Amino acid sequence: MEHLSGLEITARILTQLIPVWIALVVTFLVSIKYKRKLGLYGKLFDSNVGMIGFAIVTFWVFTGLFAGGFDWIITHDPLSQVSGMKNKIPGTPLAGASDGDYAYYLLGGDNLARDVFSRVISGSTKVILIAPLATLFAFMVGITLGLPAGYFGGRLDMVLSFAANLVLAFPVILLFYLLVTPEIRITGFPQYMAVVLFAFPIIFATVLINSRYYLVPQKRNVMIGVTWFILFALYFSLINEDGTVISIFNAIDLFDVDGGLLTVFVSVVFVNSPTVFRIVRGLAMDIKTRDYVAAAQTRGEGTWYIMLWEILPNARGPLIVDFCLRIGYTTILLGTLGFFGLGLAPEDPNWGATINEGRKLLSIYPHPALPPSFALLSLVLGLNLLADGLREESLKD
Amino acid sequence: MSKLDYNGPILEIDNLSISFFTRLREIPAVMDFSVSVQPGEAVGLVGESGCGKSTVALGVMQDLGVNGRIVGGSIKFKGRDLNTMSDEELRDIRGNEIAMIYQEPMASLNPAMKIAKQLMEVPMIHEGVSEEEAYQRALEVVTDVKLPDPERILKSYPHQLSGGQQQRIVIAMALMSKPALLILDEPTTALDVTVEAAVVELVKDLGKKYGTSMLFISHNLGLVLETCDRICVMYSGEAVETGSIKDVFDKMQHPYTQALFRSIPLPGADKNSRPLVAIPGNFPLPHERPQGCNFGPRCDYFTDGLCNGGDIPMAAVEGDDRHNTRCLRFKDIDWNAPIAIGEQTEKAKPGKVVLKMDNLKKYYEVAANALFGGTGAKKVVKANETLSFEARESETLAIVGESGCGKSTFAKVLMGLETATDGQILLDGKNIERTPIESRDTKTVADVQMVFQNPFDTLNPSMTVGRQIIRALEIFKYGNSDQDRKDRMLELLDLVKLPRAFADRMPRQLSGGQKQRVGIARAFAGGARIVVADEPVSALDVSVQAAVTDLLMEIQRKEKTTLLFISHDLSIVRYLSDRVMVMYLGHVVELGTTDQVFSPPYHPYTEALLSAVPIADTSIEKQHIVLEGDIPSAMNPPSGCPFQTRCRWKSKVAGGLCERDVPPVRMMADGHQIKCHLDQADLDSMTPVIKIAAE
Repeated sequence: MEHLSGLEITARILTQLIPVWIALVVTFLVSIKYKRKLGLYGKLFDSNVGMIGFAIVTFWVFTGLFAGGFDWIITHDPLSQVSGMKNKIPGTPLAGASDGDYAYYLLGGDNLARDVFSRVISGSTKVILIAPLATLFAFMVGITLGLPAGYFGGRLDMVLSFAANLVLAFPVILLFYLLVTPEIRITGFPQYMAVVLFAFPIIFATVLINSRYYLVPQKRNVMIGVTWFILFALYFSLINEDGTVISIFNAIDLFDVDGGLLTVFVSVVFVNSPTVFRIVRGLAMDIKTRDYVAAAQTRGEGTWYIMLWEILPNARGPLIVDFCLRIGYTTILLGTLGFFGLGLAPEDPNWGATINEGRKLLSIYPHPALPPSFALLSLVLGLNLLADGLREESLKD
Repeated sequence: MSKLDYNGPILEIDNLSISFFTRLREIPAVMDFSVSVQPGEAVGLVGESGCGKSTVALGVMQDLGVNGRIVGGSIKFKGRDLNTMSDEELRDIRGNEIAMIYQEPMASLNPAMKIAKQLMEVPMIHEGVSEEEAYQRALEVVTDVKLPDPERILKSYPHQLSGGQQQRIVIAMALMSKPALLILDEPTTALDVTVEAAVVELVKDLGKKYGTSMLFISHNLGLVLETCDRICVMYSGEAVETGSIKDVFDKMQHPYTQALFRSIPLPGADKNSRPLVAIPGNFPLPHERPQGCNFGPRCDYFTDGLCNGGDIPMAAVEGDDRHNTRCLRFKDIDWNAPIAIGEQTEKAKPGKVVLKMDNLKKYYEVAANALFGGTGAKKVVKANETLSFEARESETLAIVGESGCGKSTFAKVLMGLETATDGQILLDGKNIERTPIESRDTKTVADVQMVFQNPFDTLNPSMTVGRQIIRALEIFKYGNSDQDRKDRMLELLDLVKLPRAFADRMPRQLSGGQKQRVGIARAFAGGARIVVADEPVSALDVSVQAAVTDLLMEIQRKEKTTLLFISHDLSIVRYLSDRVMVMYLGHVVELGTTDQVFSPPYHPYTEALLSAVPIADTSIEKQHIVLEGDIPSAMNPPSGCPFQTRCRWKSKVAGGLCERDVPPVRMMADGHQIKCHLDQADLDSMTPVIKIAAE
């Protein structure tokens, strides 16, 4: 068989991505049609920058979703090696292809003879899963600590801010190296951190519900009961792992999270939350001087109600923008971790690790390193553009 | 760059129309607007917020931003059309021949530059003079705006000056190039009343001295009366009436002008016998203006078919000097007809004492070094000093004073957000001064509620109106079910005269007055018996003020509420309060019934305050008292009497007593007390500040 030309490669890749295009078009059509009813999300479609950013981000979200969930798009198993395909250039026909196989390595093969295209595509799944989730957890921690620090000020603020500065002052890469060292992992230190950090969403949700509904105990009890049932099940499943330090609640261990992944997750949350803490603290200090906060105080509202229901919703604009930006930073951080081979299994197709492998032969074979680099770049760029668009639109009217 | 000599009118605006272009539509902000300013003349531009008066000023400066455009008419400055000038020519005129003074002085000054440098820039750029000459000029102008110690002021940064001083510097900067036209956009709105009076006086004097023409933009009719020769009243993008001050104030020819005057509390108005007449309805949004007369739907004299027929031109009023009105029926209307007197009400009888303050003191300790507290010397700020008074059921007690007088601290202590340092607060005979709000029982909290000043800040922007009222009901433990509370919420909306459909609206969909009504509904949710109203109408437009004030009064009559009305606006205080308490730097300097406080003998501060408040009535004669200097800082109060640094009667007291001792409280008449060292004879010699001239 002949090698594919550049045009043919492009055409074939675009064809592979058809489900993503369909999903993208549908999302845009529906969103633009109802944009006046969708609040800030709808207004995003008034800004070109925001729309471009949103398109890039949703492209990767759908790609990751379809590749990870349904095994669509990818042409080969990202882990399997095919002899004769080592470092082959893009468009090389598959050596010894049988009937069911896709006949080409669209973006060539890497130094272990794996399909670069499939590896890049399946690398997106973990990113679009971990980056937003880790950011969300970091926000929970940052908000739960930042609101009281900003609202009460004084000594509490001093202690918390000092702790935040301490974390920020610690070299991030060094911290990661420490956390993933096998000796430290055996002591269970990352798991203990998970115990603490993952408790924050539970605290957050409980306080959120209680502060608003404590006047109607029946309603409150039901809501907290349901929330606790779900959150605690997730919590114990997350922190629990057989054969490690914490394996006490095996009965409610619904799923296992790979130890390496957990470490990565914990580290990312840990280094991101101090920055979120600072932003929330600043916003709380500003908003607490408003009259509606004074009105809540003069009718004797509890402090958590004021913080979570009077201050937090009105800080949402800057927080949403920062959330988008922070997913971008987290994506870069995940890439960095992968690049250094920290945390995840060595053969895992995450973008950072793929770039690192490709880097070694960069001067001879640039094709294995470039696609994942471009993927990482485009996702982060998309998130930044999206944040820009959101900021622009949230400032209008 | 010489300035043109020109003998015609300085500024001639002819049929000017300005529009803003948004994503959705074109929004006309100013339509068919004409005005001319003669040399040395001061023209006042009056109207409510959103009427386009600031847009006119920006149009003159040709500074409308990316969305704004002049779509018709001409603006001639000294005979040259500004619309057709190049950017370079405009730059030459701006700041040189036309200067502008904005509302917020701090925003007009560069915080990173010393005053001297900012002032010297003006002649150095426009006239290319040497540095020494520019400095000399700066020194001269700063002396002209009556700032103490000009050399020191020139060496300081803007943040080292007080608000009043900053505004004087902005005026000085505008005068540096001896402009032919000065545009003042609400120049005193951000200042305290007594400081405002001094700045207005200054502007007037300087206008005469330099022969500058002025375009004075304000929402305050009283201020325009004091400063201007001619007035132009605007409504919804159009000039509705122009003419000399005398003609427009005394012989108004447009229903809107008339309605405006009837809705502001002038001396003679009374909440019971002659209540204010609010203008019905709302200000139309720019894209929802009615056909024909913009004021038509709110006008008492509206005639169907005539007033909504088509565009209405300006018509000259015969016999008057350049007096025009945009009304088709001005000849038919009997302008001298007596005011249809609104609903008269019985004066409510004050009931039993509900609230009693006894020698209340609130001190704050400010450590010199907050981080390593304890080592530095501690400073005590005396925010409230021996506050004593009683408030009765159904009574309105006004608390008057300028910023820093301690009225907000007092409100905080009463609400329980702070605890008192000394003294007592008795609510129904129960001590509450040391109970912070968390430890107060629901009944006490619900009994004492507050209405806030800023309508744009009083409601949580991310919660529906109904939800916010229901939350207050929940917290005050009203009703047994969600349905009970929902019903009560709708009743409360009825009480404040808002449509029930507003329950599902977000605060941003409401106008300022409507938000303030929701704030009132929320305060009364728990059946409040004492309501602290902190300047509840000062941020609202004049026509809306009257409606909100009347609403407060009506609810008060119905619920027998004790109203503590905090304000600096003595006109409204005179209109609605039964008793008045005047505060200065934490001290109560005068307390008595409204009549006692508003007539001599006065405390010297009350006297100055009364004189400072502009009154929009040509028949009023005011004694002119301008206070020197600024309000001293509460961190560093003067020794002895707090007012002695600015008091004009100080020389009458022998032996420096004023600087040594805090004056004792003296009972003048029944329930009238004054804190002053002056002799009885001196107090008796005081004459009324405000006199209504004999007709």
